[in-house]
Amino acid sequence: MKSINAKHNIVAYSFLLPALVLLGLFLLIPAIMAIYYSFTDYYLLTPQDRTFVGFENFIEIFSDPTFLRSLQNIAIFVLCVIPVQVGAALGLALLINKQRRGNMFFKVAYFAPVVLSLVVISVLWLYLLNPSEGLINEVLMQIGFDPQPFLTSPDQAIYTIVFVSAWQGAGYQMLIFLAGLQNIPSDVYEASKIDGANKWQNFIHITLPLLKPTTILIMITTLIASFKLIIQPMVMTQGGPMNSTMTPVYYIYQSGFSDRLIGYASAMTVVFGLLIGLVTLIQSKVSKEDE
Amino acid sequence: MDKRLKKIIEYVLLILLACIFIFPLIWMIASSMKPESEVYSDMGGIQSMIPSLNPSDWFTTYQELFDRFNVLKYVFNSITYSIAVTAGSILINAMAGYAFAKFDFKGKKVLFGVLIALLIVPVETLIITQFTVAHDLGILNTRLAVILPMIANMFFIYLFRNFFMAVPDEIIESVKLDGANYWTIFWRIVLPMSKPAIATVGTLSFIASWNDYLWPLMVLTDSSKYPLQVAITNINSTPPVYTNQVMAILTISTIPLVIVYIIAQRYILQGLGGSGTGIK
Repeated sequence: MKSINAKHNIVAYSFLLPALVLLGLFLLIPAIMAIYYSFTDYYLLTPQDRTFVGFENFIEIFSDPTFLRSLQNIAIFVLCVIPVQVGAALGLALLINKQRRGNMFFKVAYFAPVVLSLVVISVLWLYLLNPSEGLINEVLMQIGFDPQPFLTSPDQAIYTIVFVSAWQGAGYQMLIFLAGLQNIPSDVYEASKIDGANKWQNFIHITLPLLKPTTILIMITTLIASFKLIIQPMVMTQGGPMNSTMTPVYYIYQSGFSDRLIGYASAMTVVFGLLIGLVTLIQSKVSKEDE
Repeated sequence: MDKRLKKIIEYVLLILLACIFIFPLIWMIASSMKPESEVYSDMGGIQSMIPSLNPSDWFTTYQELFDRFNVLKYVFNSITYSIAVTAGSILINAMAGYAFAKFDFKGKKVLFGVLIALLIVPVETLIITQFTVAHDLGILNTRLAVILPMIANMFFIYLFRNFFMAVPDEIIESVKLDGANYWTIFWRIVLPMSKPAIATVGTLSFIASWNDYLWPLMVLTDSSKYPLQVAITNINSTPPVYTNQVMAILTISTIPLVIVYIIAQRYILQGLGGSGTGIK
């Protein structure tokens, strides 16, 4: 019996081995190294001169205006993109969730931006939003508005990125909401119709509560994904103007990769990673209690 | 009458919204199918949404783009990376999922717990130390460096595990009695039974790999190994920059995704919580 068990263990681990090696190399070791490097002054080109500096990096990042600004920016982004994108997705799903001629076309149209990659949408909108010759400003002027400096103004750039991100993601979430809506049995609505409820009452008392699990799931995935924002600001604004679209992940990339300050970037990785991990934990606790 | 008015308003709203969602795509394709000067002279009119009126102009931009840049090479690179990641991801995550679903081995609970906990680790923040690992492994500027980190994925292992749990043990036992070894059972019996899981993981990893930008940008210095996403930003910053050529490369890089979305639409929603939340 024991020899069978031993063989069983070997077979099981041989099935696991490739995945474990890759997860170890590119997830577990990087995570441990980030913690270790965050206490050193590791500079990529002189790894042999690396010394232990204690909490110096951590003290420095918390007095680094760029890092603090990136935290502020990501907070603005997360707080804006969730209501805009999830709200738009729900609105679209409600509009589409009705027997109607041409619905297939509208569904495909709203979903279309999802098919583009983040690099493609970023480059595309960069041209559309060009201050002097972009299509959007051209149209704004024709209908009597002043042209706007969407991506070149420190006050507008982050909100422009919110809009572009929501524009791309809403169609995907619309499909998830649609699946949720179609899971609501129609006799619930019929019963409330007999009770004399109007459409608005139906929406508040039936649709929204029954959609709650779907909504929570979508909000969590949006929240966690938003924290990692980097490609849109990287391609559209390079974090500018005046760091107004600098995000933590982008700043980690710049410090570690462009400036080669591995130790300093690792400290930010640890702090920001812990922050995301914490939010994820709280979210999963809250949504579990909800069930 | 009231009902008809309501219906009209509803349709106007639906169409307006559809315009907001698709005009950028139409502009992208239309601009790639006209001469550079027309791109800007048409701006602001409905003409900006229509390709050149002269059909012989339609593919001129693409011709010019192919003459200036080695687009076929980039397309080939992207396809190579995506297929390698997809195949590797299906095989390796399915193997791990199978071990968790059908074997009782020492340390199973602890290991599974650790792997689930790793789901919380935000991979995107680890790019710098991942880069130092790739550096230490000596794989920087190789195709392997682009492919390897994208293969193992805890979410996919979890997905496969749940799928395999539903495979009845009796089937596996009866094949075992016929003398099949573990690998044969996995390869010949279990894997062919799990087409929906394979399709889901395959679709999601293909899309994720095709769209990957940051990591290939970091590990590759040799532009002949660039995937399309990196090539796009490269083309967009190599002077002289022509808007119609940029729109052409954007269009080209989108075509494979359109095909994948059409073929695999029903598997994309199953990957909820995976990579396709719009923002990444």
